[in-house]
Amino acid sequence: MVTRAPYRRRTAEQDTFLARLFVLPTAGYVIVLVAVPVALAVAYALSDVTVAAPRYDWVGIANFAAVLKDQVFWRALTNTLVFTTLTTLVAVVGGSVVARLLFAKVFGRRVVRVCVLLPWTTPVTLSSVSWLWLLDPVYSPLDWVGRQTGLLGTGASVNWLGRPTLAAACIVAVQAWRLTPLTAVIIMTGLAAIPASVREAARMDGAGPLRRTLSITVPLTLPVTAVAALFCAVFSATDMAVVRILTNGGPTHATEVVASWAFAKGIDGGNLSEGTAAALFLTPVLLAAALAILRAARRVELR
Amino acid sequence: MLLTAVRPARRQLLRGGALLTAALATGCAHEDEGAFATGSLSGGPAEAFAPPDHRLSGSLRILMWSHFVPTHDSWFDAFARRWGSRVGVDVTVDHIDLGQIPTRVAAELHAGQGHDLIQHVAPLPQFEPAVLDLADLVAEANRRWGPQLELCRRSSFNPRTNRWYAYAPGWVPDPGNYRRSLWAAVGLPEGPSTWDELLQGGTRIRRTTGIRLGLGMSQELDSNMLGRALLWSYGASVQDAQGRVALNSPETVAAVEFMARLFRSAMSDEVFAWTAASNNHGLVAGQLSYITNSISAWRTAQRSNPDVAADTYFRPALRGPAAALASYHLLYNWIIPKYASGAAAAQEFLLHYTANYAAATYASKLYDLCAWPALTPDLPTWLGRDPFRAQPPDKLALLADAARWSADLGHPGPTSAAVGEVMSTFVIPNMFARAARGEVSAAVAVADADAQLRPIFRRWRDLDA
Repeated sequence: MVTRAPYRRRTAEQDTFLARLFVLPTAGYVIVLVAVPVALAVAYALSDVTVAAPRYDWVGIANFAAVLKDQVFWRALTNTLVFTTLTTLVAVVGGSVVARLLFAKVFGRRVVRVCVLLPWTTPVTLSSVSWLWLLDPVYSPLDWVGRQTGLLGTGASVNWLGRPTLAAACIVAVQAWRLTPLTAVIIMTGLAAIPASVREAARMDGAGPLRRTLSITVPLTLPVTAVAALFCAVFSATDMAVVRILTNGGPTHATEVVASWAFAKGIDGGNLSEGTAAALFLTPVLLAAALAILRAARRVELR
Repeated sequence: MLLTAVRPARRQLLRGGALLTAALATGCAHEDEGAFATGSLSGGPAEAFAPPDHRLSGSLRILMWSHFVPTHDSWFDAFARRWGSRVGVDVTVDHIDLGQIPTRVAAELHAGQGHDLIQHVAPLPQFEPAVLDLADLVAEANRRWGPQLELCRRSSFNPRTNRWYAYAPGWVPDPGNYRRSLWAAVGLPEGPSTWDELLQGGTRIRRTTGIRLGLGMSQELDSNMLGRALLWSYGASVQDAQGRVALNSPETVAAVEFMARLFRSAMSDEVFAWTAASNNHGLVAGQLSYITNSISAWRTAQRSNPDVAADTYFRPALRGPAAALASYHLLYNWIIPKYASGAAAAQEFLLHYTANYAAATYASKLYDLCAWPALTPDLPTWLGRDPFRAQPPDKLALLADAARWSADLGHPGPTSAAVGEVMSTFVIPNMFARAARGEVSAAVAVADADAQLRPIFRRWRDLDA
């Protein structure tokens, strides 16, 4: 004799089935565009494949050992960490300020918002080329302004990208410039989520602007700010376009980052397996950052 | 009577008009970029066509760089399509920035689909396993037009595997470009002929005018070429004739020390941040007294800064303690991927293109030179009397024997994949730059660069084996 499951249980089973069905496209997307490339990268890093040779010979961890012996890689890794940290700091602080300005009810707020978002919406290659022209050793408009105002001598140039420290500062500045709008928008959503009654209550209790910022705005937007910081860190650490276009890693590898070095080795140089091994060093860092993003997002969700 | 009297007058008038039109057309054609777009070269060589031995069909997709001289691309696109329509092949030509080509080639080879014929401006030995061996094509070209220039041959042939990984029908020399008025003021109106003269004269010019030398030490193509020229001039090299690493030598240290002196005396930090176009910009802007480059910077100046163009002259490779050698500026490598369905058409097209290389030279305003000199018999005449309005007209005459003072990138060894990786990772420009900046001594910079080279060479040698 066949007994039918209770109605509620049948409905629950159907819901589970539907839920799995709905997740399927996302899972497929993640598998095809994330899992497969990562698996392929690991396979390449453990082989001697070149950019043109289809032959796959297992070499174990030889490529990782070679990367660890490479002085340029260590410089690139250090630069990646320093640039990412500084970019994130500048973008988060700048984004917080911009978010508050955008949140304020001022005339032409919508136009200002569009203008602030432009650096983020412009393709990174296009904006980097614009910066390259702005920082050009011969035709830099910034230098021209400096000469016109007497800050620079006749015919003098700052050589923005020709000095290691200055070139590194330029990379950080451009990264922060393009990521600040992103952090601003994320933080703005946090500001918008603070109930007006909470602000009002604080005001009635006599809290001044500084007190309200420290006791209400900052704590309540902290989870969102953390999400913004982590997004910023991931975007900064994985980007190679800004470096490649502005300095190509120079001068003397002073602005080389792991992504640009892996590309130079693996694609330009044809040494695909070693380039992949170099790129994979970022994976644990990025994985940790991704997990942190998810945890922070979860905290926001639970609020 | 009246009729007979009028007829000769009308005929004379028509003839005179025709001559005037022709004269105007000839005179203006060189200024008119559009003339090249029609595919015809006014005043240039006529196009030769020989039907292929066997019937062709299908399509031929060509990928190549966007030429620094735009008239070349206008001519080439029409030329390729015209050939396609004659032989029954549907030809398409895609041009991309030269910096994107290796990436694009890698992507297409890995995907196993894409263009049938790909051109790059530097050797592509790293792609040898995935491209056709073009030995038959090169043999046919040599049979038709005599021996290929040595530097082109060495930049497309792998002696270890005995395979032709590319076909190299042309190249671009890398002379010194100097401002005559500046160098005349320091007693060298013909420009520097040695590295020492470059140092002495460049130093005095900078001291008196503030105008600098423009020798790149950056992570870009031109700096790679320049660094090798200096090494060779000092009797040093990246590798020996057998392809073994030979960088760490007293000669290399001397060359690096010299470059450091040159930088301190006559250059500025700008040379560490240059792109491939930066020295062109600096020369055209009148801010540099000497650069090593092709003639494209000067051609640009002809239109944008005629005074600088008129003052810019050329010098062959500078002499050092051991030799006077420059690297080529560009070397064309055409490869045919193994996946190419249009491989037969591609090889036929390359023979047709090579047969018409005089037109390519002319359309590029004498920028591209042929690997088979017999194919450009008019070249000495053009160089001696520039059809594109050089003042004086024989300004480019020294390029007639440019092959004599030019060498391939691997010199004195083969241009291997290891040489390609060393170039892509900018080991040599950075070696010079580190010493010039004072980060380390010349000896340490050389030892570090040598240590970077060895694993690269070892790895590619193992792969070849």
